[in-house]
Amino acid sequence: MTFSFLQIVLVMVVTFIAAIDQFSFLESLYQPIVMGPVVGAILGDMNTGLIVGGSYQLMMIGSMPVGGAQPPNSVIGGIMATVFAISMKITDPQAALGLSIPFALLGQYSVILVFTITSPLMAKADEYAAKADTDAIERLNYFTMAMLGLFFSLVVFAGLMFGQAIGETLTTALPEWVWNGLKAAGGMMRFVGFAVLLKVMMSNEYWGFYFAGFALATIVDKAGLGGQALALIALIGFAVAVYDYQTNVKMKQFGKKEVSDDGI
Amino acid sequence: MMASNLATQYRDLTPAKALDKKTLNQMAWRSLFLQGSFNYERMQAAGWLYGIIPGLKKVHTNKEDLALSMQHNLEFFNTHPFLVTFVMGIILSLEQEKADLATIRAVRVAAMGPLGGIGDAIFWFTLVPIAAGISANLALDGSVLGPIVFLLMFNSVQFVARFWLMHWSYDLGTKAIEAITRNAKEFTRAASILGILVVGALTSLYGGTTIALTIPNGESPIVIQTILDGILPKLIPLGLTLGLYWLIKNKNWSAVKCIGLILVLGLVGGFLGIF
Repeated sequence: MTFSFLQIVLVMVVTFIAAIDQFSFLESLYQPIVMGPVVGAILGDMNTGLIVGGSYQLMMIGSMPVGGAQPPNSVIGGIMATVFAISMKITDPQAALGLSIPFALLGQYSVILVFTITSPLMAKADEYAAKADTDAIERLNYFTMAMLGLFFSLVVFAGLMFGQAIGETLTTALPEWVWNGLKAAGGMMRFVGFAVLLKVMMSNEYWGFYFAGFALATIVDKAGLGGQALALIALIGFAVAVYDYQTNVKMKQFGKKEVSDDGI
Repeated sequence: MMASNLATQYRDLTPAKALDKKTLNQMAWRSLFLQGSFNYERMQAAGWLYGIIPGLKKVHTNKEDLALSMQHNLEFFNTHPFLVTFVMGIILSLEQEKADLATIRAVRVAAMGPLGGIGDAIFWFTLVPIAAGISANLALDGSVLGPIVFLLMFNSVQFVARFWLMHWSYDLGTKAIEAITRNAKEFTRAASILGILVVGALTSLYGGTTIALTIPNGESPIVIQTILDGILPKLIPLGLTLGLYWLIKNKNWSAVKCIGLILVLGLVGGFLGIF
């Protein structure tokens, strides 16, 4: 089955929106249960789209985009699985999903690329902020979203034009160590963010609290309380902070009283 | 320009007029694009700033203060996207009161941290599985209601959370402000303690970097990461953060230069099979 020009454009537009939606906007349009039937309707077989989208969604329950980890991208996965199910008349949704995996991987690579490219752009954002240029900040935000949408549309375009074989070819275009390296670098770049934050927040009297937070988090994380670790640590930190606040306020009042007592 | 050379106080210290409902709602709408400029270095920072721009413009009527506020609101930021308006409300009440920068920054860091786990639990582990479970079965029966039910369930909860949290936390912040300003110095210190504790926790919890090096040793190769964990778990994230802090503070490195270093480190490590 070949697709008409209009169908290709429409699927690319939908992909563009879904790519942005996976992180911004409604954060629900991108889910396979929505994308399946939409892409199916464009390609003239909504029923297959519903079934592929529904099965993919059931499969995904329990593997949500939590804590910054990037699973092979479900946006492109869902879209391409629907495309293949319809174009190749595959009745088993699992088989269609299998064919979509190289594209899901390409989607994941696109995300890594965009998140990496956007990191140095933050220095530009600093310049805009220093000039109080709110419009430029807004433009930057739209630009980066459009970049992500465009990358995704191009991946899907390749799949629509050249079939499933192109997925394999493209995923191997860059050797695996490059992606591994970029992924590792991506995981480390947040330490730059932390370091800058420390530079502006830290004074020597606070170092102990930094290490205490680090130690508590490591312990709580080891206890298997990953997601809730920060909330629990914040409770302990809250106790420390409130105690410190009350002590210092009392000391201040005490100091004042003594001065006024002397005055009498 | 580095955010670290900023003034510590706004020029105009007269508290601004309270934000109207319209501005608060505008920020709640914009909060949908919190992750627009998401990146590995500062995560949601630019999207966060994008979201609160309507409020900042109202609060800071002179350009210098607006610039100052925009700069410090571009520092590392990451919270749960559906709960971000809670942080927005509190921070805007502090901006409106012209609290000093250290206070605003410390409260921002302390408030953003704990929301992640709570939001994941509510939205990804509860709401999505329930909504998806119900609607996927409808879809498998070939019913268009599947996606519609899913979108309605998910988004009604999302929008109630965003708008309600925005107004509630702004009120909360405005009411607490009097107590805060009465003992401003003590409050800043306490908030900084909590904020820095959270940064320490983030270093460990967000620090997933491990190395895959092994030394061949017959039947039982020596795994370097195991040795490092034996010395101190999460030693690599801690070491990298402190190393970068040292470069930025003592060697005047810019963030971009640090990112460059990390990229080289990642690619070289990827090539050598260290990661």
